[in-house]
Amino acid sequence: MSLMDSLAAGLSLVGNVEAFLMLFIGLVVGVVAGAIPGLSATMAVALTLPFTFAMTPINAILLLLGVYKGGIFGGSIPAILIKTPGTPASSATILDGHPMAERGEAGRALGMALYASCTADAVSNLALILFAGWLASFALNFGPPEFFALILFSLTIIAGVSGESLLRGALSALAGLLLATIGLDLVYGTNRFTFGDPNMMGGLNFIAVLIGLFAIPEIIAMAWNPVAHLGRTRALGKSRCTFADYAKSFKSIIRGSLIGVFLGSIPGIGAAPSAFLSYSEARRTSKNKANFGKGEIEGVAASEAGNNGVAGATLIPLLALGVPGDVITAIIIGAFMVHGLQPGPMMFILNVDIIYGLFIGLIVSSVFLLVVGSVAIRGFRFVADVPKRILMPGVLVLCIYGVFAVNNNIFDVGVMFVMGWVGYIMMRNRIPAAPFLIAFILGPLLEDNFRQSMLMSGSDPSILFRGPITWFFWALTAITVFAITRSTLRKTVPLS
Amino acid sequence: MKLRTLGSVIALGVGLVAGAAMAEYPERPINMIIPYGAGGATDISARTIAEALGTAAGTPLIMANVTGAGGATGSVAVQNAKPDGYTMLFARVGSHSVNPAMKATLPYTLDDFRFVTVYEINPVACAVRPDSGIESMDDLVAKVAEGGVSYSSSGVGSLLHLAGAMVLKEFGVENPLTEATHIPQQGGGAAATAVLNGTATFICTNTSALANFVANNQLKALMVTTEEPVVGFDAPTANELGKPRLNALVGWTGIAGPAGLPDDVSAKWGDWITEAAQDAKFAETMSSMGSVIDVMSPDEAIAFINNQYSVFRALVDELGMRIEG
Amino acid sequence: MSQKSLHLRLGIVASLFALFLVLYAIPSFVFAPSNVGNIILSPKFWPFVLAGLTGIVGLSLIFNAMTAASDAPFEDEEDVHPEGSAPWMRLGALAVIMMITMVALPRLGMVWTTMLAFAACAFLFRTRHPKAALVCAVVVPLLLYAFFAHVAGVAVPQGDFVRLP
Repeated sequence: MSLMDSLAAGLSLVGNVEAFLMLFIGLVVGVVAGAIPGLSATMAVALTLPFTFAMTPINAILLLLGVYKGGIFGGSIPAILIKTPGTPASSATILDGHPMAERGEAGRALGMALYASCTADAVSNLALILFAGWLASFALNFGPPEFFALILFSLTIIAGVSGESLLRGALSALAGLLLATIGLDLVYGTNRFTFGDPNMMGGLNFIAVLIGLFAIPEIIAMAWNPVAHLGRTRALGKSRCTFADYAKSFKSIIRGSLIGVFLGSIPGIGAAPSAFLSYSEARRTSKNKANFGKGEIEGVAASEAGNNGVAGATLIPLLALGVPGDVITAIIIGAFMVHGLQPGPMMFILNVDIIYGLFIGLIVSSVFLLVVGSVAIRGFRFVADVPKRILMPGVLVLCIYGVFAVNNNIFDVGVMFVMGWVGYIMMRNRIPAAPFLIAFILGPLLEDNFRQSMLMSGSDPSILFRGPITWFFWALTAITVFAITRSTLRKTVPLS
Repeated sequence: MKLRTLGSVIALGVGLVAGAAMAEYPERPINMIIPYGAGGATDISARTIAEALGTAAGTPLIMANVTGAGGATGSVAVQNAKPDGYTMLFARVGSHSVNPAMKATLPYTLDDFRFVTVYEINPVACAVRPDSGIESMDDLVAKVAEGGVSYSSSGVGSLLHLAGAMVLKEFGVENPLTEATHIPQQGGGAAATAVLNGTATFICTNTSALANFVANNQLKALMVTTEEPVVGFDAPTANELGKPRLNALVGWTGIAGPAGLPDDVSAKWGDWITEAAQDAKFAETMSSMGSVIDVMSPDEAIAFINNQYSVFRALVDELGMRIEG
Repeated sequence: MSQKSLHLRLGIVASLFALFLVLYAIPSFVFAPSNVGNIILSPKFWPFVLAGLTGIVGLSLIFNAMTAASDAPFEDEEDVHPEGSAPWMRLGALAVIMMITMVALPRLGMVWTTMLAFAACAFLFRTRHPKAALVCAVVVPLLLYAFFAHVAGVAVPQGDFVRLP
């Protein structure tokens, strides 16, 4: 079948109102769910799944993809407005998005988040359509040693988000790494720091730690000084993102999209590390380096491009290999299977109409996201105008509901509170929270892949250098560490 | 409107509290805890039967995923719940026969639960990469003797972990723990990927997790553990290979309540599940996922699980796989 | 506070914490089976590495405080709080609110508990709109309950006393 035939077959599948309607509904559901902390994109997709059983396969999958993409963007709305990421992927957006909202530029930050998201989404979809086969075979070369090298490199992001002192950033990261060891050991299944509590055996819930670390300290700070915000200009959220803003950040957006595509096509990394990596790259190369973390619009653009760039690319291993890249695509694979479709190389031969139908739907989804997102921003940005001393108790209640909903476990609410105080103490001592979070995500991956590599090789460390991919990341890590060391030593105040 | 709703809400609430003692079970929605993540095999199975079960029970079932520690977190939530039949658990092979057999540190035992049914069986298959040069179980065993064979699992104490060791043991490998390497992964999807990308040599897991890889010729099935062949798997059964003991190695999903569940509640669940399993949509979804619907009465379910537990426990003790720390 | 004193303080805390981990916490709370083949595969290996790194960072902070760190106070440091001990009282009160919330959640149910928590926080923050705060305290938890329980299908804890539909 030629490309034109495939396209025509695909068009005939999606060329009806229903398919586009499903995509649209999915995006709306996703944006709303993403905007509610605790109801992450993952949960929204999982909750939508049962509704798709009765639909045609293409409608079902377009609906789920709509929810997924909408959810990833939606998460940035509360991240910017109330410093509570709606979904883990948008935690990097907080770094610059929330300071902008504090300055009264909520509308500008949200607008940039939307434009960056849509651009990255489009880039990601194009990459999927053009390079699916090639990227997928590349992704299969990633075994534990390659992952180990990649994650080790990703940990250098910490230097980029440490703020004024690298040492304090390192301290924060170590705390995150230590906290992530709680739970059952991967290889032997023994207890680590669980203190005999069954709730600790599963490790601390990621969302509970995340919300505790970012949202709760704001509430505690309000108790410390309820009138601190009064003097500041907290103008209404009327500012807008201009074309000049977009043009200025365009390079970062494209770079972030490509990082997203690359990390998305490798199973098992996910959108949050991609957003942080994109952010730190944008900071590293920006002229306004000093302004990052204080409300730099380019930072918002880079983070959102990084996480939305993943969304299309995670479909690469899914469609080309049948391998889920993250939890969400694992659920989507479930939807394929319920409809009797088996993702993998054969699908490009047996169900090529569905594949091309999906491609067409995906291209349209970027446009729909722009429309749905603009409406959502209009609706949500006035949250910034609610009196802060009423907003904050509301955020607390929302966090309690949201954190409970993630795993239906009251214990997680306790984890959130405790992490809130940890976060507050860190804030008072000028220890940045972002390295903590990155380490908490990447730490278990680093350890697991290291030990899996050791199991593979019978404890021979040379497996960590087994091929060109590992060499590439080791070299990248070495260069980055060298660059960081040199730039810190060059400063007038060393290591600070 | 809001005030009226609130008023009726309070009235209803007070009424419910007052009438709780005498009303017949079930008189409010039932919380169903799924101890595994959204979108996994247990979750899809549970959510598929929930609708039909809710109709049979005449009250909605509220599904709640409580994940963590290989199903232990959710199981403990039910273990500690009031045994009034309003908190029930979707129990799975991993959480309720492999884990109790392998982990001394587990905060619960089988005695802490009362099973009301097992409603589906998932056959287990073993698979390798087609280019590995392994064509049959005998090839695999020969390769083990050469050394360097590994198998992936979704974690310590998962069905996959035990299955890899049990299959090798049955096929005459003296000590599978030292002669083959167990490489645990985070989750079932990652376990299959590990074989796909060459991290591990083989995997033994539910056929539903392997179906699309086998259909796409990315993996080659070596055997299935059921008595009957499995559709889509061109591989001999355990009985054909002369290893009928492996028939005990199957996955299943069932429903359990806390230990003190009253007899009448258990009996009601028995009736509901029989009715729900008749549902055509449920049957269709389950078979497209590669599961076999096999509804057991409460007594059959308890016997089935205890049998599987004792087989697993014997193997764990023989190989010294029990986790004490 | 200056960078010097901050780093000195953090460095000492981090070093002591690393010692605590190595000498007490890891040996007592991380369990390793007796048959671990290789030390680098042991469940204790990674915690020990992290504890060691924490110690190194702690010592570096102390070293930095001794040598290079600037002695000038941070520019954006808040001045002495005008209210004396009142902020500490409020922090304590918030901690108590959180603890009561944890105790009350399974017993009272999520809706009633969060209503009380909302009202308590709003008054702790001395809101200028007490009536609006009270209305929100009732409406917000109810709306969230309606959404989470009936749209998202979450089993929101109901408590032992008054159940909502």
